[in-house]
Amino acid sequence: ELVDKCIGSRIHIVMKSDKEIVGTLLGFDDFVNMVLEDVTEFEITPEGRRITKLDQILLNGNNITMV
Amino acid sequence: MASAGGGGGGGAGKMADKEKKKKESILDLSKYIDKTIRVKFQGGREASGVLKGFDPLLNLVLDGTIEYMRDPDDQYKLTEDTRQLGLVVCRGTSVVLICPQDGMEAIPNPFIQQQDG
Repeated sequence: ELVDKCIGSRIHIVMKSDKEIVGTLLGFDDFVNMVLEDVTEFEITPEGRRITKLDQILLNGNNITMV
Repeated sequence: MASAGGGGGGGAGKMADKEKKKKESILDLSKYIDKTIRVKFQGGREASGVLKGFDPLLNLVLDGTIEYMRDPDDQYKLTEDTRQLGLVVCRGTSVVLICPQDGMEAIPNPFIQQQDG
């Protein structure tokens, strides 16, 4: 339900690996796969931004560590 | 015919028993609510925060979270590479350890390597 409150907000997702995704949460499912929009991908160690992906992405919940 | 009726009654009893045992966790997290806990994840991340909520799948809600990261040369030295995140949801699928922040201290390495001369 806490994630429900976040629908429509900007969120920051940390993966199991050193990767983070920032975007607007459009929705999620029981397995916490997430659909995001206006997404920017960050690699933590090199400290550089990767691609800024607009459109929408489906992020596989298997590798999500924190939201 | 008689055994079918008996089987039906026995089946109903077993169902009730199964439902009782369905969602019991081996760890009672309610005693950690509002306490600071340390959580370790697959991938080597560690986080500390105040436990605000949880569910049977072990997803956790932590407040005032501090995240620590491991490095190859850090080797679990808990570097200064910490980040403050405010309120976070931690996925239960990647949690490997939960323990209270108190009652924890660093000790000298018990595994001393002895070199035969």
